[in-house]
Amino acid sequence: MSPHVPGSIQRERRLEAGISYTLLTLSVVFALLPVAWMLSTSFKTEAEAFSLPIHWIPQRPTSEAYVEMWTLKPFGTYFQNSIVVSGVTALLSTVLGALAGYGFSRFRFRGQTSLLAFFLATQMISGVLVIGPYFRVLAALELYNTLTGLIIAYVTICLPFAAWMSKGYFDSIPKELDEAGLVDGASRLQIFLRIIWPIAVPGTVSTLLFAFLLAWQDLLWALCLISIDEKRTVTLGVAFTVGEFIIKWPMLTAASLIGSLPTIILYLFLQRFYVEGLARGAVKG
Amino acid sequence: MASGRTWHDRHVGYLFLLPATLMLAAVLVFPALITLKLSLTPEGGSGWTLTLAHYQKAFRDPVLFQTFKNTFAFVAWSLVGHFVLGLGLAMALNQTLPGQTFFRLVALIPWTIPDVVAGIIFRWALNPIHGCLNPLLRLVFPSFPAEFQWLSNPTLAFPSLIFANVWRGYPLVMVMLLAGLMAIPRELYEAAEMDGASRVKRFWHVTLPGLSTIILIALALDMVWEFRRFALVLTMTGGGPGTLTEVLSTLVYKTYFQFFTFEYASAMAILMSLVLFILSLPYIILVGRER
Repeated sequence: MSPHVPGSIQRERRLEAGISYTLLTLSVVFALLPVAWMLSTSFKTEAEAFSLPIHWIPQRPTSEAYVEMWTLKPFGTYFQNSIVVSGVTALLSTVLGALAGYGFSRFRFRGQTSLLAFFLATQMISGVLVIGPYFRVLAALELYNTLTGLIIAYVTICLPFAAWMSKGYFDSIPKELDEAGLVDGASRLQIFLRIIWPIAVPGTVSTLLFAFLLAWQDLLWALCLISIDEKRTVTLGVAFTVGEFIIKWPMLTAASLIGSLPTIILYLFLQRFYVEGLARGAVKG
Repeated sequence: MASGRTWHDRHVGYLFLLPATLMLAAVLVFPALITLKLSLTPEGGSGWTLTLAHYQKAFRDPVLFQTFKNTFAFVAWSLVGHFVLGLGLAMALNQTLPGQTFFRLVALIPWTIPDVVAGIIFRWALNPIHGCLNPLLRLVFPSFPAEFQWLSNPTLAFPSLIFANVWRGYPLVMVMLLAGLMAIPRELYEAAEMDGASRVKRFWHVTLPGLSTIILIALALDMVWEFRRFALVLTMTGGGPGTLTEVLSTLVYKTYFQFFTFEYASAMAILMSLVLFILSLPYIILVGRER
């Protein structure tokens, strides 16, 4: 700190830091308490979950609930389904979205504003608006109860946002790079694939992650388009665990935790990309 | 040569946009048109005999009316919560403090929890006898009643639901605002500080103007997302008690798949989308003009 800074400003800075720490500590408690309660319950026996007074730390920690959930319901299959569906959706939306984003970011053409408005408007369309026709059309195409049907549905949620994030990200990359490529005689596609997209890796990773999370966390579409057990996704499996028995809380919290684990892990590993990509992509939008 | 490239370039631009546009038209616009047609078809009817009966019914439907009110309240209060919490935390995280990375990491965790799970956690945490909220409250306020009912209480079920949604949704708004704060040049603050502007003044004259666009974008996107919120409501309250916490997406879902009145459900979905579209029109215009 420079010696010219008056004491009052220093005091103010210390006060600011104090307020910030208080707020941040409270926020940690707020953010983690519900998760801690879920974690704690999942390691309890059924009897302990219903014993009073409540315990935050299980007195006899047991993985019973995890074993039960895994044997009673085919969660392995649910996981496989969720990974396939979310993965393919994320790839498809990100690639198509990146192409569209690049188109919006680098070209001027007639009808651009209307097309942009169209992409924005598709973000506003709610799943329930199209869920009825999906149910019927997919049944007619024999895609009801298939993962392919679910992927098509998820693209409706992910693609508009992927295009939007990519556009914002490409906007933040200097156009001079494209022009240099054009001077060297490269085609627009080559420039996109070899120069711009590689620079946009953080943005691409965050778009992939965002799309993956959106698809993974969905319940509405899976609920409407899947009715057989072997095609259920994890969230659907968890939701049905609520409905089928008298609620077995340790088992349900175990299933919930396992169902959230992939997104938590992905996020922890990629959070740098995620925050940067969202910051540059969505905010600049 | 130069004009030749421009002409060519314009068409290349269309080519980049073509795949996504076709895909969206096929998977979104086409089904939306089917919904529109279905909403104008008499119940059990087919072909092109059209009717406005479902819309007339909708305008007289007290449940739908209440659900619209619920949804507006749900969205408005969620937005207030997300904004206040998001801005407060973003400002706290925007300083160079030791441990900042840790705090940022933790603050974003609720966003990684799927809606379904968030609903389940809060239903369990708010359980009157075996949940953790009542004992925690009794720890702070010893006179708090022991088996206090949250979700089965007609006045408290809705605020409880909103509380859960605030927990679930503040991180995204926070990240966007944080990104906006980081983009405000430090020199602006330093100049204001040297001019003797107080904290409050700096907030009003530097922070808020610098953030205004991002605040609008974040709130507009959040509004759209909260308007469509489904799984949280379904697993936490299921719309109950009665229809007190019903929101539009759960009502339309139930009308489709539990009552099987497809035509009426379509009309509701169209009305819902129309309202959402009107509400987000300022945002679309704003962003369109920015270009």
